[in-house]
Amino acid sequence: MNMQIEIQLTQCPIRVDNARLPAGSSDSGALVEFTGVVRGEEKGESIAALEYEAYNAMAVRVMRQICESLATLHPCHAVVIVHRTGIIPVGDAAIYICAAAKHRATAFALVTGFMDRLKQDVPIWKRRALTSAQLQPRAK
Amino acid sequence: MRILFFAQLKDAAGCASAELAAPKPINGEQLWAELLRKFPALGAHRRTVRLAKNSEYVGQEATFTDGDEVALIPPVSGG
Repeated sequence: MNMQIEIQLTQCPIRVDNARLPAGSSDSGALVEFTGVVRGEEKGESIAALEYEAYNAMAVRVMRQICESLATLHPCHAVVIVHRTGIIPVGDAAIYICAAAKHRATAFALVTGFMDRLKQDVPIWKRRALTSAQLQPRAK
Repeated sequence: MRILFFAQLKDAAGCASAELAAPKPINGEQLWAELLRKFPALGAHRRTVRLAKNSEYVGQEATFTDGDEVALIPPVSGG
């Protein structure tokens, strides 16, 4: 059974409460979700936001390739991945992933494996950290 | 061919993209020679940059021609 893969890049806030669960997961006994959140500190300095940049077409392609590769070792039924770009405030999600599998070990392994590979190969960057002052709109 | 710069490479190059003429296919060394001639500040990053051709990572043996989209991929930091 081929793993269904859904990947999205967005500049909009990721809302985990209405993020679509993987389709075709009626045989799934496990749904494993991970959300990567922007922390309030970067390289020892307090920040208010991170700005992410992506090579969009290649990022989606590489994420799909990673999923297809991992599916041979950890055959989940489906996976949904959403990565946000642009300016992301502290506390907001930068990435959301949900994997559906028959058993939890498979789903956990896919999610963990994906995050490891994302941080090695997917062309997305934390372009710069922003302070509160930098986030304020300029007075007209 | 179209050259794309990302992250700190945009600062080094002073732009997000550039056009490079290649009437004949060129290899990675020749590509870098031309890039460094136009954007010398890229030299400091060369050792950590991976090349991608048409959205696929390529190795040292790759050749590049007019019509290709070449991206200079610095160390990534997604997630």
